[in-house]
Amino acid sequence: MLINMSSQVLTIARFTIIESLRNRFLLLSFLVIAISFSLVEFIGDLAITEHRVTQVAILAAFLRMSAVVIITLFVVSSTVRELQDKTLEMILAMPIRRGSYYLGKLIGYFYIAALVAVIFAVLLLLYADPEQVVIWTISLFFELVLVVALSLVMLFTFNQVPSALTGVFIIYGASRIVTSIFLMSKFPIIAHTSAAQKFMDGIIEMLTWLLPDLHRYTQTEWLTYNTGEWGALLPLLGQTMIYLVFLSFIALFDFYRKNF
Amino acid sequence: MFNYYHYIYKDRPVRDVPKGIKIALVAALFLQLLWHSLQEPLIAKAEDLAPPLSTRTYVMSSLGEPIAVSKFLNLWLQAFDNQPGASISFHQLNYTRLTQWLDTILELDPRGYYPMLVAARVYGSINDAEKKQIMMDYIFYKFSENPDKYWRWLAHVVIMAKHELKDLDLALKYANALSEKATGENVPYWAKDMKIIVLEDMGELEAAKILVGALIASKEITDPYELNFLTHKIAVLEEKSLKKQQSVEK
Repeated sequence: MLINMSSQVLTIARFTIIESLRNRFLLLSFLVIAISFSLVEFIGDLAITEHRVTQVAILAAFLRMSAVVIITLFVVSSTVRELQDKTLEMILAMPIRRGSYYLGKLIGYFYIAALVAVIFAVLLLLYADPEQVVIWTISLFFELVLVVALSLVMLFTFNQVPSALTGVFIIYGASRIVTSIFLMSKFPIIAHTSAAQKFMDGIIEMLTWLLPDLHRYTQTEWLTYNTGEWGALLPLLGQTMIYLVFLSFIALFDFYRKNF
Repeated sequence: MFNYYHYIYKDRPVRDVPKGIKIALVAALFLQLLWHSLQEPLIAKAEDLAPPLSTRTYVMSSLGEPIAVSKFLNLWLQAFDNQPGASISFHQLNYTRLTQWLDTILELDPRGYYPMLVAARVYGSINDAEKKQIMMDYIFYKFSENPDKYWRWLAHVVIMAKHELKDLDLALKYANALSEKATGENVPYWAKDMKIIVLEDMGELEAAKILVGALIASKEITDPYELNFLTHKIAVLEEKSLKKQQSVEK
């Protein structure tokens, strides 16, 4: 039973990977690499000091955001196509659990996320310390794992590409800046005690509890000032695992309730 | 004639597109190019430099990438100087506002030193005493915040004050600050000794000699290379002093 299930999961994962390779997905990643390289070389010509730091900082931020956008677009568009082409219905008509399908897709997307992270890291190797690049890449992979799971949740919830993409980008953006917003509300320049303000402060604090600490992930500082340490990856792994489980059960909750 | 085009390619051949569409497409492209050529050339206007927003705003708008946004702002700010007629743009720049920008950029990336370099070497090189003074004051202010980090920019300012502003009192003020506040191990002996150089120019050779003597006596300097340099410096000072005395006697 268990062997049969894992074989189903791996088959779905394999076909997800094959789809990505046939979808010119790698070509898109290499295109981003080419654009990034041109951009960073141009920036290098502009900088009059801190040449390497400037190049690395802008390149890392650009690659990080590009990876998130590419993965989100791929996960959402590929899953939507399966929904619209009735491929999903055909798969579920077979003796396959919905959980197995979800897990298979997740594993397939994780493989693609790892591929993107590694491809992007190769370019960074030209400008930054290799050890720091490896730490940054692992962290980027963790971040992309959460983006994949979040994309699936949003898609199962909204069923439509625009709403799903908007949902992913809002939650992702909020996860990266919620700490800054929290600090601003916690330590305001002018103290305020109105009920409305306290309510908003409470909402913001609640968001810090509910959203993942993405501001700790994939830090540009690691690459620019070589401050990354292997130990920093451990809490990131913990956060990734916990939030992945959380997002997965939200997705499965929606998925099991869905009628086709 | 039957052809196999549709067996090889997914799309239809170009000739299947109506002629009107093709002509309209080319015309639209030319229209865009014509439109662009009629626009005024893009030139950054120095007087348009707006005040910076708070660092938190930049952190949030970059999704928590303060270093990347700091480097980007460096280049963006620099773009105000890269325009044609840079010297004119420098004069148009609001230097007080410029220092606010430099401060914001440094706050976003406290380890960076790009703003200090442009303050000292780029904006400070303006041929306007008042604006030059603003930049020098800014560097001195940053130095006061963290002398061991920003000492080298103040060392440059000492030279600026001495040679460009010809204000030896000001140079002495900065040099004094250097020798008193920049006490970190990373600060080389020559930076701590800038006061001597300034005093020498001011003709206060004896004062410089006393200062060097004091530095050695207080065992503030233990580095042998530094001691050699100072010993040599004292010898040079003594020689100059002797020559001065001889010329007076003649």
